[in-house]
Amino acid sequence: MLILTRKLGESILIGDEIKVTFLEIRGKQVRVGIVAPKHVAVHREEIYEVIREQNVEAAANTGMALHRFPDIWEKLTGGNGKDGRQEDME
Amino acid sequence: MNLQTTRFGEIAVEEEKTIEMKDGGILGFEGLRRFALILHQEDKTPFLWLQSVEDGSIAFVVMNAFVAMPDYSPVIDDETADVLGIEGAQDAVLLAIVTIRTTPLRVTANLKAPIVIHAKRRCAKQVIIDEPDYPIQYDLALRAENSAASAASPILEAVKGITTAIAG
Repeated sequence: MLILTRKLGESILIGDEIKVTFLEIRGKQVRVGIVAPKHVAVHREEIYEVIREQNVEAAANTGMALHRFPDIWEKLTGGNGKDGRQEDME
Repeated sequence: MNLQTTRFGEIAVEEEKTIEMKDGGILGFEGLRRFALILHQEDKTPFLWLQSVEDGSIAFVVMNAFVAMPDYSPVIDDETADVLGIEGAQDAVLLAIVTIRTTPLRVTANLKAPIVIHAKRRCAKQVIIDEPDYPIQYDLALRAENSAASAASPILEAVKGITTAIAG
């Protein structure tokens, strides 16, 4: 990992198109400004990872939902009473 | 064209009705660029399938995000609007990826990162919403308790109409 020291207001260039500027330090928090081309997605790492994991979980658990949408929806909307959602599907 | 899928067997999909992913597409599934929306007309639920065209084993359960949360009003960033060619709210359909767990049944919709689709151009990408902060696991059982909406509500019917138009 490349480690650099920068002062407030100074920047780092990554390639020709990405610029990271260090704007403010408050205690343990750093405010960073990022200029990047539109096709480069910029995310907080932990949010990106959580969403990726959620997608993987969603894709993995679809097999047993096949042909059961009416059953699942009825339980969610209380078709079997409010306790319906607590029941196992099997 | 015909697709071999794990869940639906061999299905016929009209190529012009597939949805093309832009940029990173769906996070964790960046390599999958084309999907088909599969609707079960006969059932009165808001759930649809988003089936990968390239990988027959990958399909997501999705629902219109406004059905999950009727007052959902995420801010779509300008870059996303540019990439998809979205000029106004009327161009976009927002689908939330649904995670279904059994024992016990817990069904959640990801409202933090909806799939934004340009309804006419049929291009899409998953977008992380910064403002306001929506839950990644929005519990659909809570939704049912919090609103009187049911499968027959006018909102749901109207929204389903839009989604049906995309699914073709």
